[in-house]
Amino acid sequence: MRFRNRRKPRKPPTNNQGEISLLNLREGEKAVVTHTIGGYGLIRRLAEMGLTPGTKVKLLRKGPFRGPLQIEVRGVALALGYGVASKVFVKPLRKEANG
Amino acid sequence: MASCHTPTNPKENSKEKGTLRIALAGNANVGKSVIFNQLTGLNQIVGNWPGKTVERAEGTLYFKGYKIRIIDLPGIYSLSTFSMEEIVSRDYIAVEKPDIIINVIDASALERNLYFTFQLLELEAPLVIALNQVDFAAKKGMRIDAEKLSEFLGVPVVPTVAITGSGINELLSTAIAAVNGELKPNPLEIQYGKEIEERVQAIEKMLSKKLPELSTVYPPRWIAIKLLERDVDVAGKLKNYKRGKEILDFAEKLATELEKIHGESSPVILASEKYSLASKIAKEVTIIETPPRISLEQKLDEVTTHKIFGYFILAAVVASMFTAIFAVGDFLSESLDLLFSTLTLQIENLLSPLLPNFAVTLINEGILGGIVAGLTIALPYIIPFYIILALLEDTGYLPRAAFLMDNLMHKIGLHGKAFIPIMLGYGCSVPACIGCRIMETQRERFLAAFVVVLIPCAARTVVILGLVGRFVGLHAALALYLFDLILIFILGRIAFKALPGEPVGLIMEMPAYKKPVIKNVLMKTWARTKDFVYIAFPIIIAGSLTISALSISGTMDYVVNAASPLIEGWLGLPKETGIPLIFGILRKELTLILLSQLIPLTSLKAVEMIVFSLVTMIYIPCIATIAACIKELGWRKALTITLVDIALALLLGGIAYRILSPIMPS
Repeated sequence: MRFRNRRKPRKPPTNNQGEISLLNLREGEKAVVTHTIGGYGLIRRLAEMGLTPGTKVKLLRKGPFRGPLQIEVRGVALALGYGVASKVFVKPLRKEANG
Repeated sequence: MASCHTPTNPKENSKEKGTLRIALAGNANVGKSVIFNQLTGLNQIVGNWPGKTVERAEGTLYFKGYKIRIIDLPGIYSLSTFSMEEIVSRDYIAVEKPDIIINVIDASALERNLYFTFQLLELEAPLVIALNQVDFAAKKGMRIDAEKLSEFLGVPVVPTVAITGSGINELLSTAIAAVNGELKPNPLEIQYGKEIEERVQAIEKMLSKKLPELSTVYPPRWIAIKLLERDVDVAGKLKNYKRGKEILDFAEKLATELEKIHGESSPVILASEKYSLASKIAKEVTIIETPPRISLEQKLDEVTTHKIFGYFILAAVVASMFTAIFAVGDFLSESLDLLFSTLTLQIENLLSPLLPNFAVTLINEGILGGIVAGLTIALPYIIPFYIILALLEDTGYLPRAAFLMDNLMHKIGLHGKAFIPIMLGYGCSVPACIGCRIMETQRERFLAAFVVVLIPCAARTVVILGLVGRFVGLHAALALYLFDLILIFILGRIAFKALPGEPVGLIMEMPAYKKPVIKNVLMKTWARTKDFVYIAFPIIIAGSLTISALSISGTMDYVVNAASPLIEGWLGLPKETGIPLIFGILRKELTLILLSQLIPLTSLKAVEMIVFSLVTMIYIPCIATIAACIKELGWRKALTITLVDIALALLLGGIAYRILSPIMPS
């Protein structure tokens, strides 16, 4: 399973504000949601499931291959498909960035 | 935060110890259906919402002289328009106005659950809250102050542990007291930030001035909020009115303004505000007693979603599931068959002196044959299947399976949840078709149903194993299965590319593992079996009557002769095999039974057996499946699936005959 999806080039890991997509978070790492991208339905759904800007999330595990991600948000475990997770942007709460 | 607004008093005059309507609403996985089962016992009917393929469970109960109708609304996370379930629920609450709504919330995930509660409050629904799974919250080291929560929300809160039945009695008493106006609720009105609040009120004002008609059904504040969120369904309701356009344009302008201020899209802004209030209340009422420990459930979760072990466990679960189903099913099927064959013989002997010959055949083969077939072939496999399914559901394993399979499912344009109906498909296509409901959009449902009917169900397995497996060899039977999987993958991919629309990604809650409760498992099995019998039996009987009538009148021979160029010429099968293939529409395993009655199976060549099984596997979902498809997808889509499958089976059968006959020795 080494094929990359040609139509969707991988997003650069960070933008200049230090925001990365959920996909680039490490397992066990915590982060704060900054924004989500996508159509009206997806954005609304994600917000309704609790992924609103400023929300703390923790990446529990990444699924195999380009599989889904499991995160913890507002005390609930949520599975997000790979494509969905790539549209959620977060700022990691890393030790060096804590200041 | 909590400002007063007068609670709409339910029509008290008509409620003198009459019938009450209580609706259960809440998120998925909060134990709502357990409460429903506790309340109604076996007096429940599972059906569809009128015109919608959304499950509707209803039950009756008598309590303190009241006759109470309980309606179990689908488990949802929001009252927006994400799925049919959400629209059905909100219309029911707003339009049908049940006497009281019991909002079941999960004490261990208060924040997310309160988000839904707020939406019910905005719809101005009369509420009683069942604070459920308090035991589970305690396990996580949390205790919820129910009284304080009740003060915050301004509605009664009753702590419950649904699986043990604790608190259910009090819940009912509270609900009835609320209906009778004995409690003085003071429901919380959710206040937003200034910029939002101004705009909500502006739209609300315009609504009550220009469209007072709509405000009698839906609370104007709620409509205003939904318009600000750009809710398509509510916008559609406004378009029915002449002055709706004006209001819509106004709301659109305000929403755009709001988005400029906040830099977010408007539904996100409103959800954020609701969640920050939910979070605040949850913090206030939650008492952390002990820090959560790593529990057995968490470890189980880890292993079952593991990159490697997860798949081993999944394979083991699926394999043991089918071993169990076939072992139990075979035993039951054979025992019942023995019982009924003597019974039908007796009935035949009883009737033959009384009625003319053709009538006896019609009753015996048409009506009795259909009933016996359903009882001896479908139910013995379906009941154990449903039991295991309910076990998997109640423990919380299915979401894990969906999690593991998400990636593969995406290749055919579906997401992980579709793996659940596919798994069902190996048992029986009927529940699998119904199971496609868990997919969110019409497009996804159609795709999933298309794939699911191609999965070899238990009946097709009987044919494949009983013919090819037994006479050609197990390797050939396995090759057929493998071919089917590849075919499904290719077709799924084609359908996915051909169908317009965007695929939906996976957003799924992963509930914690729980110990299943046997009573619930059995009740679920019972409800589903009943549902299956209602759908399948009338059709099986009607179909078998039609075919017996055709065969008595001699029309069948005509059909077989007409089909012979196709059967003999194209598929290379003996002419007689046309009859079992036609009868196979009724039940797939019938093809093998009939075939063995018409010609000795050993007289068939290996190639013929393979072609016959291949055609049987693909050519048409049986009549009960077609019925389920019609019910779930509508006539046109069901017909499309049926015709595509027939064409495909004939095409592939012919090709297989031409490729295989030179290679395989006869």
